[in-house]
Amino acid sequence: MPALSPQELMERVRSTAERSGASEAETYMEVIRFTEVRVRQREIELVQQSSIQGLGLRVFRDRRMGFMYTTDLRTPVLDEIVNRTIALAGQATPRDENKLTEEVLSTLQELEIFDDSVPALGPGDLANLARSAEQNAFARDKRIETTNDARCGVQIHEIHFTNTFIPYQTFHATSCWLSVSAVATQGSQRREGEFGDRQRFYADLQTPERVGRRAADRALAKLGAAPVKSAKGPVILEADAASQFLRSLLGAVSGQNAADQRSFLAGKLGQAVASPLLTIHDDGIMRRGLGSRPFDGEGIQSRRTVVIDRGVLARFLQTTESGRRMGVGSTGNAGRSYDSIPNVGPTNFHVEQGNQSLDKMIAGVGTGLLVTDLAGFGIDTVSGEFSQQVEGQWIEGGKIARPVEGITIGGNLGEMLPGIDAVGNDLELRDSVRSPSLRFRELTIGGA
Amino acid sequence: MAWDESLSRRSFLRRSALLSSAILTGSVGIPSLFDPPAADAAIMGIGQELRDVLNEETVNRILVESLARGGDFADVFAEQRFRTDIVFDNGAIDSVTYGYPRGAGVRVVRRNQIGYAFSDEISYNALLDAARVASSVVENQSPVTPIDVSRRPVQAPFPIADPEPLMNEVAKFDLVTRMDRAARAVDPRIVAVRVTYMDEVRDILIGTSDGGYLTDRQYLLSVSLTATAFQNGERRSGYGSLGGRVGESYLTRVDPEEIGKRAATQAITLLGAGPAPAGPMPVVIGPGWGGVLVHESLGHASEGDAVRRGTSLLAGRLGTIVAAPMVRVVDDGRWPNGRGSAAVDDEGTPTQRTVLVEGGILRSYLLDKQNGALLGLRSTGNARRMSYRQWPLVRMTNTYIDRGASDPASLLSGITKGFYAAQLGGGSVDTTSGNFNFAVREGYWIENGRITRPVRNAVLIGNSIETMKRIEGLGNDLAVEQSHGTCGKDGQWVPNGVGQPTVRFSSIVVGGTSL
Repeated sequence: MPALSPQELMERVRSTAERSGASEAETYMEVIRFTEVRVRQREIELVQQSSIQGLGLRVFRDRRMGFMYTTDLRTPVLDEIVNRTIALAGQATPRDENKLTEEVLSTLQELEIFDDSVPALGPGDLANLARSAEQNAFARDKRIETTNDARCGVQIHEIHFTNTFIPYQTFHATSCWLSVSAVATQGSQRREGEFGDRQRFYADLQTPERVGRRAADRALAKLGAAPVKSAKGPVILEADAASQFLRSLLGAVSGQNAADQRSFLAGKLGQAVASPLLTIHDDGIMRRGLGSRPFDGEGIQSRRTVVIDRGVLARFLQTTESGRRMGVGSTGNAGRSYDSIPNVGPTNFHVEQGNQSLDKMIAGVGTGLLVTDLAGFGIDTVSGEFSQQVEGQWIEGGKIARPVEGITIGGNLGEMLPGIDAVGNDLELRDSVRSPSLRFRELTIGGA
Repeated sequence: MAWDESLSRRSFLRRSALLSSAILTGSVGIPSLFDPPAADAAIMGIGQELRDVLNEETVNRILVESLARGGDFADVFAEQRFRTDIVFDNGAIDSVTYGYPRGAGVRVVRRNQIGYAFSDEISYNALLDAARVASSVVENQSPVTPIDVSRRPVQAPFPIADPEPLMNEVAKFDLVTRMDRAARAVDPRIVAVRVTYMDEVRDILIGTSDGGYLTDRQYLLSVSLTATAFQNGERRSGYGSLGGRVGESYLTRVDPEEIGKRAATQAITLLGAGPAPAGPMPVVIGPGWGGVLVHESLGHASEGDAVRRGTSLLAGRLGTIVAAPMVRVVDDGRWPNGRGSAAVDDEGTPTQRTVLVEGGILRSYLLDKQNGALLGLRSTGNARRMSYRQWPLVRMTNTYIDRGASDPASLLSGITKGFYAAQLGGGSVDTTSGNFNFAVREGYWIENGRITRPVRNAVLIGNSIETMKRIEGLGNDLAVEQSHGTCGKDGQWVPNGVGQPTVRFSSIVVGGTSL
């Protein structure tokens, strides 16, 4: 480890850059400590314990940008990094947007993103939790004979930031996770079911009983699955699948992509692009949120942004640079790591809770499909084309009839979003991007 | 790659530094920060050789500590990369990034158990700490004495002549500019073009408790272009790429303009494309990147970790039929210039050509040391890791369906109504069920034995063995894609090659919207 504190080290790098010819300089440093234990068939298969430290330096000179990162924090190396980054900036194209932010943080609110009990969990505690979760999957049903593994881990994440205009600022955050990948066997058929939870606070983490049971249930529900015939019909994305769907929409609400014509939503601000039942927000200041943080990758204060307001496209997510290109301000959505330049990214990106239970949503369907798993690279946010491999349950007469797999669902996002006719009340915050269940009036089901 | 004494890391990086300074002084006129003495002093930091820090003696001591509590074997893996990323967007350089990640990890293995710890700092003390943490997985065993390491030769799978100019900034900017211009010139409906350039030199050092001490240097280049076409409120993308594990001569052989042009033409072709069909039908998939199908359908399921756990559908199926009789599937870690190629894997085992399927019968799994030992088999040189921050997993290298005898055009004949996939996107698989999918970037209807109208993007889906049994024709046009292709498993991303000739399937489910 370097002899200097992160603050001393960063201020030294920044001021060296400014002295060596950079008109503006920004340093971003991460220190991450983590431990993960994996258990399979009651035995520890993996113990990993390590720490990461890395520093990224961005400099501007005559509106030209250079960026360099390293994990090697020895002084001669850092001095050379400074020199090379300034040289790099000399080669880039000058652009008006190339300017650091001068916005200094106002008073920070208490986000509750650090839990003292998380660093206290040692490998032995993690192994016990993972073992217990796996054991609960086995206990659920005889047909759970094996697992891929059960995992439990903790992470302590430090962010350090300073630029020419913003004094040194920092925050520390914790997270912990527990997951099981259960395998159900029936005759020659084997199906996998996974369930995981991730939280800032250990007290919020779902119990090993619940994690193991839910993984087992997901695997068991798939046994006996078979394709159905091709048809058009209503499709419900159950919360996990809907959350994955929501994640794939992120590219379409990025201000960077909108400015470059790389989103099917480009040019549609203020227009109805989805059902009035749909409201999507990005909330960087949610208490205990997995994506919550006091400031973003450019040092800008986090906030709450409504992206789709009852079906109307209200805002794109912006960094300082993309915002300048579109003539608006940053929304505090500069996502990054020490080894990347800031790019538009979510904080806590959620579809707001609706008012229907999943059972009621299913009952409202005559014949249709409940999707529990989505897979594939068939969501194109440039053209809006949507095509996915799915698994789930066939619905007949408003009731779950039998498991299905080997089928696809297809549509176009421009038509699908307005066609949402029910939003579930089952939003469960197990990740930073989450949605309750969503029901689409009609999609194409490709089957046997 | 063999270690080339004539091209030391120091002189290599120094040349690149001096080139940068030449551009710097020439363009913006600030004093050069890279005068030769200063450059020399600085490069003692950045270009420091891994073996200067981790010599045989140091590695021996770390390995002794790693096995102090017992274990079957242990290894030390050190890595440094020098990486350049350029994003060229809207006709201008959007960003240039230099990356210099560096670190080392220690792994201790006992039967099915792994202890792993790494440090971003390569020093004796930091790695001794890592060894103690990693060895904690082994409880209450007696110490094991590792064999003293000695230098082992590394045999390059293919020659790479003079990769140095790949580090020349002027050549990089020229390349991306030419691709961009060619794409824009295709049609005024091309509204956006983005070129992303990446090159990297990766140095690795591996010390193993069975006495191995190896170093290797691996080069990788990847340049890709995405063009966006816009008309009547409709947007379509086209994609093209170049690269591989290549040297200077590669850039004189390829035609970057052609790649830009093809990507833009693809985007224009897809404007006005009709909906893709939904449901099962005869499918023909074009050569090269089409191999993503076999990567997903059989490749992942043949990886030894899932086989050893019994969770892969191919577990216990050696010697049984897994594909049509005409099918041979190969994983070749030494394929010339392949993205997945290297002299040795990340455990130091020499890479090899492994025939996975011959005559439709499963002949081999892909293995690393640990899973090989647990299955009573030998490593096939398929242990790979994303970086020193991860332990190695069993991974594919360059995986392909071997060539057949048919003229590719003849594979369309007799299909009244079917689907032709000219270019694929990404795919994924559930190795427990074998259900897999892959996206089509450029697809067409086949009508009465001919390729006719373009259709919008859709996924194709299948089940591994079932789909591989439906192969009914193989072209003589084998191509292995080497310029893009990155495979993710358990959070680790590594470059991969995939390939196939033109392949005809009696039936695959297409996930479009038209019934």
